[in-house]
Amino acid sequence: MQNSKLLGNLVWYVLLGVIVVLALAPIGWMLSTAFKPEAQIATTEIVWIPRTPTIENFTKVLNNYPILRWTGNSLLVATAATILVLFLDSLAGYALARMEFRGRNLIFMLTIAMLFVPIQITVIPLFLLFSRLGLTDSYLALILPVGGNVTGVFLMRQFFLSIPSDLEDAARVDGANALRIWWSVVLPLARPALTAVAIITFLSTWNSFFWPLIVTRTDAVRTLPVGVAQFMSLRPGMVQGTQAFGQSMAGAVMAALPPIIVFMLLQRYFIEGISRTGIKG
Amino acid sequence: MRVLPRARTTDTQQAAGQAWRFNATPYWFVLPYLFFFVVFRLGPSIAGLGISFTNWAAIGTPQWVGLANFQAMTRDPRLADALRNTAIFSLVTVPLLIVLGLALALFLNRQKPGRALGRVAVFTPYVIMSTVVGVLWTWLLDKDFGLVNLALSSFGLGKVPWLVSQDWALLGIVLTTVWWTVGYNMVLFLAGLQDIPAELYEAARIDGADSLGLFRHITIPLLAPTLFLVLMLTIINSFQVFDLVFVMTSGGPGTATLTLVQYIYTTGFQFLKFGYGSAIAVLLFVILVVFAVVQTRAYRRGLSGAQ
Repeated sequence: MQNSKLLGNLVWYVLLGVIVVLALAPIGWMLSTAFKPEAQIATTEIVWIPRTPTIENFTKVLNNYPILRWTGNSLLVATAATILVLFLDSLAGYALARMEFRGRNLIFMLTIAMLFVPIQITVIPLFLLFSRLGLTDSYLALILPVGGNVTGVFLMRQFFLSIPSDLEDAARVDGANALRIWWSVVLPLARPALTAVAIITFLSTWNSFFWPLIVTRTDAVRTLPVGVAQFMSLRPGMVQGTQAFGQSMAGAVMAALPPIIVFMLLQRYFIEGISRTGIKG
Repeated sequence: MRVLPRARTTDTQQAAGQAWRFNATPYWFVLPYLFFFVVFRLGPSIAGLGISFTNWAAIGTPQWVGLANFQAMTRDPRLADALRNTAIFSLVTVPLLIVLGLALALFLNRQKPGRALGRVAVFTPYVIMSTVVGVLWTWLLDKDFGLVNLALSSFGLGKVPWLVSQDWALLGIVLTTVWWTVGYNMVLFLAGLQDIPAELYEAARIDGADSLGLFRHITIPLLAPTLFLVLMLTIINSFQVFDLVFVMTSGGPGTATLTLVQYIYTTGFQFLKFGYGSAIAVLLFVILVVFAVVQTRAYRRGLSGAQ
């Protein structure tokens, strides 16, 4: 009995160790490579701690690429898009859940239908639209289309359907108008749903690649994912020396670490947000 | 859906008092969203469908060609490659992500020390943006100095020409995708597992069920809705694989990693064939819908079979 428990614990710790190492080793190697001088990168032995750590890869990246600008652009676009979506979707989701009006079912059905339409269908028309408006390569081209996303509306509606309307009814009896009820009764109640929608919208905009790749041309508005893709100007098979990999990894570290740190600090909200939207959605 | 009747009663009460006048309030609530939805989502989707019936190079004017683009697809060897690669990628990636995601969730759902560390570690790769993952794994999969091959050779295995060989490149993308996204599936499965009441397990255990029995008769049936959802999401995502391909191989070597979305991108935005590019996007849409319908049917049948 005692022995089998010991064995069970041993198996648990070994497996746990393997899982953690497999998940984190690539990130560790990224850090390790980023701090190695060029000459120590192309070796056939595995060296985790750089023998002579250096920050020259980071200074080179900062000198050669406007990575801070890309990061700033991404922050701005993701924040603006999140605020836009929270505003649009909490209003519309509330109306779709609680109000009766002509066209409600049509709007909801079209919204659901769009969940199945891949965005790749929309990019050519969207690109033409923004070209006509003379707005390609602008922040607006990156932010506005996010407002048409349907996931948030769907989630907000489902959330409002799942909570009782007693408080709203009480406020209505007290003579509050719909907008006031939405602002001071409904929104405070909707905190969990708003958090979930905010996290998903921010993350998906922050990580968005296909549309920003198409619609941006200059570093003035280029976002971080598109900028980072430039690190791969050297492709496998064309690699001449490994000079580029030290810089690539330094750039990768700069792009990856802030989200990782934010995730470590807010992991509870992340995971709640994702499981809520996954399951309850 | 289930609470709809309640909402309806309050609305009817309200409607009874105000039946004599048009109520504009709901429209003010939905109008802002509706504007963005129509201009940036619904409209472009319909326009995309329309463009797929035209021959439209970027500079010229669109010409209506009916189904010519779709007929051209049947004679396009690159499209055949893209379809084949997307299918192979999905056939390998989806089962791996489902099985590993579920196994990790089951393993890290046990009341043991260190499980929180395990969960955070497995999920961490998912918060890294796709292109960074692509850059990182291009280095990890480097034939001569990449960590993966160095680790393999320390076990006495030979060098694998991951991204530079036609035979291995797609597998390199599969490996990267699994590492990057398995944590997401794990989190969804964990949420599903935690919704299963613990009393069910206790009762079954008292009745003498072993752990395999518990898994087969309690975990799997009660996890079915989660399983269905995760399967849908995983399939949809794997059909649309693009970012990693773009960064790591650009579809090469040759057409070894050319996927549907990569092909849409090169057709539409490098060769500027808007009509044909849109037609391939429509094909992707049709494939997604067919899978969604088939899966939903199978799921419903499974549910009614179980009852």
